[in-house]
Amino acid sequence: MEETVNFMRLLSEESTHSTLSSDSCEYYQTEIFDQLPSIQASRPEQNRHGSLGGCGGSEPGQRLSHDHLSRGPRDKTSVQPLRNLPMCIQAKRSARDRRKMQISNIGFWESWRRSQSISRRRVWAQMGETLSGLLPWRHTLHVIEGRFGVGVKSYFVFLRYLVHLNLLHCALISGFILGPTTFYGRSNNSEPLRFGDNDSVLDFFLGSGYLDRSPVFFGFYTRGSLDLPCLNTPLLYLAGILTILLLSLIMVVRRTTVGYKHTWMLGKRYSMNVSFKIFCGWDFTIQDPDGAALKRSFIRNDLKLFLEEQSFSLRAAQRTLGQKVRLYLLRFILNLLVLSLLGGAFYLIYFSTKTSLYEKEHYWLLSLVLQYLPPMTITFVNLVLPHIFRKISSFEDYSFTTQVNATLVRSIFLKLASLGIYLFFLTTTKQQQSPFQCSENKFGREMYKLCIFNFLATFCNAFLLNYPRKLLQEKYPTSLLTRLLGKQRFLVPFNVLDLVYGQTVGWVGVYYCPLLPLIGTVTLVATFYIKKFSVLRCCVAEQRMFRAATSSVLFHLMLLLGLVMAAVTLGFNLYQPGTTPDENMFSCGPFRNGETLFNVTGLCVDSLPGAAQTTVRYLASEAFALPLILAEIIILTSYLSRRRANQKAIERLKDMLVMSSSDKRFLVKQHATMLRRGKNVNRVRSAEDTPPIHWKDPPPCI
Amino acid sequence: MGNKQTIFTDEQLDAYQDCTFFTRKEILRLHGRYHELAPHLVPMDYTNDPDCKLPLALIVNMPELKENPFRNRIVESFSEDGMGNLSFNEFVDMFSVLSEMAPRELKAIYAFKIYDFNVDNYLCKEDLEKTLNRLTKEELTPEEVELVCEKTIEEADLDGDNKLSFADFENMISRAPDFLSTFHIRI
Repeated sequence: MEETVNFMRLLSEESTHSTLSSDSCEYYQTEIFDQLPSIQASRPEQNRHGSLGGCGGSEPGQRLSHDHLSRGPRDKTSVQPLRNLPMCIQAKRSARDRRKMQISNIGFWESWRRSQSISRRRVWAQMGETLSGLLPWRHTLHVIEGRFGVGVKSYFVFLRYLVHLNLLHCALISGFILGPTTFYGRSNNSEPLRFGDNDSVLDFFLGSGYLDRSPVFFGFYTRGSLDLPCLNTPLLYLAGILTILLLSLIMVVRRTTVGYKHTWMLGKRYSMNVSFKIFCGWDFTIQDPDGAALKRSFIRNDLKLFLEEQSFSLRAAQRTLGQKVRLYLLRFILNLLVLSLLGGAFYLIYFSTKTSLYEKEHYWLLSLVLQYLPPMTITFVNLVLPHIFRKISSFEDYSFTTQVNATLVRSIFLKLASLGIYLFFLTTTKQQQSPFQCSENKFGREMYKLCIFNFLATFCNAFLLNYPRKLLQEKYPTSLLTRLLGKQRFLVPFNVLDLVYGQTVGWVGVYYCPLLPLIGTVTLVATFYIKKFSVLRCCVAEQRMFRAATSSVLFHLMLLLGLVMAAVTLGFNLYQPGTTPDENMFSCGPFRNGETLFNVTGLCVDSLPGAAQTTVRYLASEAFALPLILAEIIILTSYLSRRRANQKAIERLKDMLVMSSSDKRFLVKQHATMLRRGKNVNRVRSAEDTPPIHWKDPPPCI
Repeated sequence: MGNKQTIFTDEQLDAYQDCTFFTRKEILRLHGRYHELAPHLVPMDYTNDPDCKLPLALIVNMPELKENPFRNRIVESFSEDGMGNLSFNEFVDMFSVLSEMAPRELKAIYAFKIYDFNVDNYLCKEDLEKTLNRLTKEELTPEEVELVCEKTIEEADLDGDNKLSFADFENMISRAPDFLSTFHIRI
């Protein structure tokens, strides 16, 4: 009596209904389960807990292939360094002895190569450790992470990265620009650098007078004794600036892609947020109880935020049509409000730029204030409006992360557009030139003033706003003002935006003010200590942690946009035909007296040998640009289609995996059932003929 | 480097250097730490491989492990008998795997062992619930715990069996950006 086996496939949904007990009983304790190849492959790790006991277990590669020349996939464990193997030390010791015996079969050359690679790896590890030990402020960052979480720490890490970037810029500038000027001097008719009659301390704030003639600005650098056609001070100056911008581009793009490949390329389907929080959430280096309690509260808040977002999306999906219409209307009105605020801010900036550019000789304090009016307006607008945007987005009924991102997008637009409008008005308004003042320095002066004022604003913010607020909260905790303001928190997004904005100003101004990276470095280091004081003394930890992932993409996007804006401004300034020569003005800087950028580079190209000349001319012509653009488009399209194909393959493989796993479960269960039935039949039969013999049954299960 | 130490033979130190991520100095320092956990139990002379094991209770009170919610599981995963009694070899092994120089794959293997509370080679829902409760010290409600565990399994389970095998776990960990920086103990 043959029993027809039912070949109906178990769908994977069945497995989700089965409970643990029945599954493990019938599945994991069957004999055939132990013989499955996938279980055999994981045996060396199982040895610890398995019935084999002891610390045995040879390396898998050894068991399967003694011939160390075979190229099986398991072979790599037999050549992996010992310390990387997941075995206990006794087993590793015996493996080591075995390898030593093997080594005597390997020639002298092979063993020498191995020892060399080992020592090289040790040297690399040592160097890596020394380098990471050289990174400044490690202890501070550790303390901040312990008290305020990873979000605030990431701000300071970003700050440190910008310090390094600016230091690199300084190095490049000293190599390309300062070096040649120091060694080869300037031209004979350039002004000497010393205090004149009209100079005062104010010059350091206004960028005029003494500073105007100093190396800080464009006008200082002239063609000195280095005067070869292709190697002269102007060309080196240009090359330096271009190298800075190019290097910044590469570094920013690299930083953008390295961290966030996985998040946004895989899409929401494969995001692993919660798993990461659970399995990588706890920092194993925490040693003090307060730090542990804080970390626990961070993890809990993080999970609560995730749960809140889940319930929010549930709620959003259940909105009725009427609610939706009202919500969209509200959002539309609020967006109009945002646009009008932005428009008002831009008009304010335009007005202040006009006022500042047309100011005549006034009393010195008024003149100072008027000169600083545009930076003050911009900083004021950048300070106040983001907080208003934050309030607005809280009315728009988005999830918390979307709120933060919406505020960020608006603030980014505000900052970049305000800077862009300011630059636009600067370059397009004709300004009354005072004599003996370099016209090209005007632009650099404005950027210098922006930079200085940014730093002053940070300083005043910390010491005139944050610290008094903290004192107020300590002395009068129940007063109306304290309750209105609430606890002071370190808002990471806005601070990071400030940093990015400062860096953008640095990039825009570096051509006309070469020492701006140096000023930037100094201000950034000072900002680090000011913000450290502000965070550690005045703020409390934020309860709702802001999700770093998507916002970081926005920050790096802003950095990239800032760089693009700097490049566009530079290109515009360079390409603009020179201003009409006027007897009252004198031009200064490396490209003066009718020498434009194109003249100088043209001279250089002309001096090259014939073949190089034609190549350079070809590269700069349209005949090269068009095929280049076409090639880029084709490459991008191929990457996109490959990505789509890969995603489809991933989907198919995932389905295949689920299917074959449920097939395996089905087959094992069937085999166990048939075996048990066969044993029962045999037992019944033998009970009839022979006295009962105890068979070894499979472990009983309920 | 000063006087010659008599705790280990040179050959033993070489073996330790090859089998772990520690240098000779660090091995000697580790022996000092092991010794000060129980000075009367741990011999100073290890040249003939004495058979000495320290109980779980002593090891989890070390300052490096004291505040870790998984300290018991960590020590149990590295002990041969599964009860948490560590010999010096296992002690060194534990800190070697948890050191900064251990590669991601090795750490993933042991992380899986640590989070596998019922030692069945799978991270099932109960394991996840226990992990979560240890992490948050039971400050989440049971419904919230249930939701989070379900979401975790949904995210990481590749073969559809409603629990995480080592392959699932490793696939998930390989994408985690800060696994290496959080899963290490400096000693």
